Amino acid sequence: MEKGGRRKFLGICLGGCVAGIAAAVLYPVYRYLAPRSGSGATARVEIPEKDVPEGEAKFFEYGGSSAVLVRKRDGSLVALSAVCTHLGCIVQWEKDTQGFLCPCHAGHYTPDGVVTSGPPPKPLTKLPFTVANGSIRIG
Amino acid sequence: MILLKRLIDWIDVRVGVREVVEKELTGYLLPRNINTWFSMGSVLLVIFGIQVLSGILLLIYYVPDADKAFKSVTSIMNDVPFGWLIRMCHAVGSNTMVVVLLLHMLSVLFMGSYKRPRELNWLTGFILFTMVQGISLTGYLLPWSQLSFWATTVATNSANAIPVVGPALVEFLRGSKLVGPATLGRFFALHVALIPAGMIALIGAHLFFLKRTGVSTPPFGLQNTTNQWQGDSYHHEDHPGGIPFFPNYAMEDLRSIFIYLACFLAVVFFDPYLFFPKDAFIPANSLVTPAHIKPEWYFLANYQVLKIFPNELIGLTLQGAAMTFLALLPFVDRGKECHPLKRPLFLLCAIGGLLLWIGLTIWGHYS
Repeated sequence: MEKGGRRKFLGICLGGCVAGIAAAVLYPVYRYLAPRSGSGATARVEIPEKDVPEGEAKFFEYGGSSAVLVRKRDGSLVALSAVCTHLGCIVQWEKDTQGFLCPCHAGHYTPDGVVTSGPPPKPLTKLPFTVANGSIRIG
Repeated sequence: MILLKRLIDWIDVRVGVREVVEKELTGYLLPRNINTWFSMGSVLLVIFGIQVLSGILLLIYYVPDADKAFKSVTSIMNDVPFGWLIRMCHAVGSNTMVVVLLLHMLSVLFMGSYKRPRELNWLTGFILFTMVQGISLTGYLLPWSQLSFWATTVATNSANAIPVVGPALVEFLRGSKLVGPATLGRFFALHVALIPAGMIALIGAHLFFLKRTGVSTPPFGLQNTTNQWQGDSYHHEDHPGGIPFFPNYAMEDLRSIFIYLACFLAVVFFDPYLFFPKDAFIPANSLVTPAHIKPEWYFLANYQVLKIFPNELIGLTLQGAAMTFLALLPFVDRGKECHPLKRPLFLLCAIGGLLLWIGLTIWGHYS
């Protein structure tokens, strides 16, 4: 083999070794730093019915994010994601007006999560729930 | 490659990088009889780098709160992907750092490299050695295990033997009468901020002195093995006709680094709990003292000395005297001869001291 060819071959081998070592170091560090899949997620959340009186809202952690359960004046229940669809702030329940307000950019939603005014492009995401034996199960 | 050359050219015309490479790397000549022991400093720099990096990564999940510290360490070990690897690298690295540091100091001792004009190199190195002991001691408490808690209790309690100020000093070290949450807070601050910052400054000073005085000539394979420095004016020890640092000695450095990494990773992967007694896996309980609590292996000799002497003050004074003697060795040993075999008194004292230390360590382990 020519001298230049051997030098090139050894250079490639060396580069391969360096790349291998770098990958062996960086992969564990990346995995260590990466958010864990399903971290903070809870498969289901149970809330006693008595905790959500008429015209009130209850905020809770769901799926690693914030969610809210509302009992409207007519007694019906709604479970929604509490994350504003505009820029991700957490909405607030306004008992007087019976609606949600996003304090970041004044987005307004109805208790069903429908946008009434402001910049939010979409309604709040609805969450599935069931009611049984005095308990509300979300998820 | 053309792009890389262009980039180097671009930098070179601005900061003269090729001149720096010529002066500090390819044109930086080392003695022809230089040996592997001179690469221990580079190995230590790599270890320090690994400790800093793994320490920063551990800080992401570690909670320095007495109620949460043990749980957070357990979570790092069991829940966080590769958390065990990062923690084991940090814990094993703290022990191997002491091993390599001892080898570095012993090689400097036996080759007479501590002698004038390198007193400041030795002194900064010796302070770094005590700082490594300090950073290990403070880091030992952080997992808040039974071992951490009681080893720290014993270690801080030894200051009690100092007359007059002893009890106040112990309370100051602990931040409370007993080891507790206040101790964890101050040891955490020392471990992650104050001592590392001091170490970085001292490593800088150590390298600066090395650069200004020049690399010492090993005394092996030479006719004249005496120190040639006259002591009248500043002199940089050059090595005309020597071997270039890059690539020749850089390869030697790399070889030592890879040998170290092979040993280090062998422990991390095949015997990670080598330095972990069973009490390291039990959360701290201030009401239950485990039997036979012992410090880390490199403090066993100190621990045994304190046990031998019925009066702790005598034990502490002896250790303080030995450490002071070692720190000031270049000012005590002013002989010009560097070859260990031509320094019989030194050789006798060094080997005797080393055997005494090993003996006390083994005694401390089995006592």
